[in-house]
Amino acid sequence: MSEKIFAWLVRLYPAPFRWKYEVEALQLYRDRLRDERGTFLRMRLYCDLIFDALIGIPQAWRTSYGGPPISTAAAGNVSGLPSFHLLKDEPLRAGSVVVGSVFSIMALVAFGLVMRLPAPHRFSTAGGALSPVEAVLERLNRVVSPPTGTGASGDGSTSTVNGGSSQTSMPAKSGPSGSETAEKPLTVRQRDQVIRAAGENLSARYFDRQKAEAAVEKLRALRKQGAYQGIVDGTKLAERLTADIRSATGDSHLNVVYRRNVIPNAAPARPSAAEIESYRALLIAENCSLEKTEILPGNIGYLKFNSFPDLDACGASFQKAIARVAGADAVIFDLRDNTGGFPDTVAEVAAPLFDHMVPWYNPRETQSATTLLPARGSTLANTPVYILTSSHTLSGAEQFTYNLKMLKRATIVGETTGGGGHMGVFHRLDEHFGMGIPETKITNPYGKLDWDVVGVEPDVKVKEADALDAAEKLAAKRVGR
Amino acid sequence: MPKRKLDPLPAAAFQILLSLADEELHGYGIMRQVEQQTNGRMRLGPGTLYSSIQGLEEEGLIEEVSRKSDTGSDAERRRFYRLTSSGRKLARAEAERLADLLRVARAKKILRGEYV
Repeated sequence: MSEKIFAWLVRLYPAPFRWKYEVEALQLYRDRLRDERGTFLRMRLYCDLIFDALIGIPQAWRTSYGGPPISTAAAGNVSGLPSFHLLKDEPLRAGSVVVGSVFSIMALVAFGLVMRLPAPHRFSTAGGALSPVEAVLERLNRVVSPPTGTGASGDGSTSTVNGGSSQTSMPAKSGPSGSETAEKPLTVRQRDQVIRAAGENLSARYFDRQKAEAAVEKLRALRKQGAYQGIVDGTKLAERLTADIRSATGDSHLNVVYRRNVIPNAAPARPSAAEIESYRALLIAENCSLEKTEILPGNIGYLKFNSFPDLDACGASFQKAIARVAGADAVIFDLRDNTGGFPDTVAEVAAPLFDHMVPWYNPRETQSATTLLPARGSTLANTPVYILTSSHTLSGAEQFTYNLKMLKRATIVGETTGGGGHMGVFHRLDEHFGMGIPETKITNPYGKLDWDVVGVEPDVKVKEADALDAAEKLAAKRVGR
Repeated sequence: MPKRKLDPLPAAAFQILLSLADEELHGYGIMRQVEQQTNGRMRLGPGTLYSSIQGLEEEGLIEEVSRKSDTGSDAERRRFYRLTSSGRKLARAEAERLADLLRVARAKKILRGEYV
């Protein structure tokens, strides 16, 4: 700490104190600096000074406030007459202003924090009925549902609790559109129902019967022990169940999810021909998410597309794009904004990169076809390939990246991908809970962990924004220009 | 605002009174003396030291003496302090109070041994 810093510290002391002792305090500091040499002593000195400032400054402000009391005896007080005293006339000190502002700001912040806390709106009363105040809070806390619904608009009958389980009976029919309802604490009945449904689905659908039984047994035992008691938050219950099921089966593709939106009961109706047609038109209008198809300087092909869309609609567009870069010396696939799509399209884009059959991992494949057939007459089979990734490269884009990485066919440049596996078939457990279950055993031809949750690690780790530059440089070096 | 009385006497103030019992000292001397008599446990920083000195001066327990130091060239600026008679009295009273405490502690068998 230089003398300057110390001199600045001294300024924090009240003016009368400084006026009297500033020079001496500085002298004392210099004396100690002179006498206490060596790392340890210096460190000790600085610690001393910091503690001293913390303790000494408030102390100095406390002790040196008022000067000597003004003598009133000199005025010759005559009893009975009002006397007039002049108190020491001082302007507000800078220190007081600072302390005052700090406290005001702290009070404001504290008030803000308190106001952010939700109002505790559910008090368990003996009778189970809501008091008028609670009823109002209840209504306020409920997210307003569209007025078209009949039962859910908050009339008196739905807000009375009977037996402590109003939620299950509340939105009797909230329409297939998945209208949003307020997040409410789970009831015991609801929780038990979800746990039971998860067990039933597991034993009915999971491909490994033995493991399914083990998991069901575990859930049952845990529920009996009361392990789920007190979990009233849907997301927490889903996380907890997922962890328990995974630990019982050792399968990280099993998961239980909680959705705030109501999960429709029936499977979505098959889209009509008109809907399919308009969907295709939309895809084509957006150029099938093909954002850029370019030849960069140095004859490097550059393809940026943000999904792997339906082949029926977009196969031709993709073929055209790939043909455009067919003569390039290297190809960069920019998947930084690609959030996935159809496994068929993923395979279709990858096929031209090979001239022989290769293993191909597709976790959604229900048959055991785990090979990729090369595209006939491709000119890209030996062209260096670079894939740009980001943390929001997801799902199908990860499948593409993962396979080409495992096959050592591409250099991955960028960030670790998002880790969105979404594997298994989704099953509804109740209005807010669902479950992903792999129904067939999927073999990973590479015998390694896939990208589920963990994502695909790039070969060259650079920031998303710098990935294109980095890949261009690598490609230029590789093709020797 | 009422001025803070030195009652109870803070540890730092008592140590300063004790350090001045034998001789007049300047600020740095007081600091060194206090460090020595507490076996290095208490090192008074400038802030604590001078606000204690200020309090003691205002209470008339110590006073400033004008004197030239014999050490360095910048000695003119140093202020020396000495104990006043009321300061000595207060230090003695405080020491006796502590001695009483010590007696009680010993009677309650909290302290053993012969040290005073």
